[in-house]
Amino acid sequence: MDEKDLIRKAKKGDTLALSKLLQQNYSFLVKYLMKVTLHPQIAEDLTQETMMKCIEKIQLYNGESKFSSWLITIATNLFIDQQRRKKREKNWLEQEQALRKMKWNVANMNEEWTDVLDVLAQINEEIRMPIVLKHYYGYSYEEIGKMMGIAEGTVKSRVSNGLKNVRKELAELEGV
Amino acid sequence: MKEYDSKNSNSMLDDEDELTVKQLIDDLEKLDQWNPVSTPNLQWFQQNVELEKKRIRKKQWKDLLTFMSVAVFVLSVGIAVVYRQPILILYFQLVGIILLPLALNKTRKKVSNE
Repeated sequence: MDEKDLIRKAKKGDTLALSKLLQQNYSFLVKYLMKVTLHPQIAEDLTQETMMKCIEKIQLYNGESKFSSWLITIATNLFIDQQRRKKREKNWLEQEQALRKMKWNVANMNEEWTDVLDVLAQINEEIRMPIVLKHYYGYSYEEIGKMMGIAEGTVKSRVSNGLKNVRKELAELEGV
Repeated sequence: MKEYDSKNSNSMLDDEDELTVKQLIDDLEKLDQWNPVSTPNLQWFQQNVELEKKRIRKKQWKDLLTFMSVAVFVLSVGIAVVYRQPILILYFQLVGIILLPLALNKTRKKVSNE
């Protein structure tokens, strides 16, 4: 059964179809959230929250974008809302702890943590998100604007300035 | 999982930017490798979907009942005013004074339990 059939059935209230849809998109969503949050626990929690939202709002999915893109839109908005609710300082401390844990795990795997991920972790998530969506997932500026609820021009400038910032920070880290 | 051709999306970039983007993509892919995701089985999803649907239905009923209670109350006050029976308004106010704190208290308790 393809995705369109599953969506059609899920919208009619078929629990099994909706469960299959969610299962098929689960790892994609966790991986996306892992990249924008750089915090495995938050990524898992937000994935579950996104799934709950999806169950509630499945009737509103109009098929204009891919189902995975629709899930990304929900997840992105949940993450933005969560960040707004949290206090900055507490957030920063939490992020630092999560990063330390991730680095520790990577070191245990005899792998090396990268400067790029360090730089990405330093920049604000409102800039990190459009960069990841544009350059990793390949969405257009217009699509990202719709996902994040901001103007296309704002996305363009955030991506462009963000990328320049990443390059500058990398150059500083590498001592060029 | 890249959904689009990254070459195409990067066509407007200069050489330095392209290099940064390449590094970015490579390292984000490493992040995926370091954090493998295990997808739960279908039963887990079904269970959660059922639970969530039940919660939504419960919430919808609660909202509907609240809406109907308020509507009945407003309508009753309206009728009392139209038929000029101040005693009815007093009764409604009395009922309101008793029920409102009870309703608010219940909500507060629920929030604190969460």
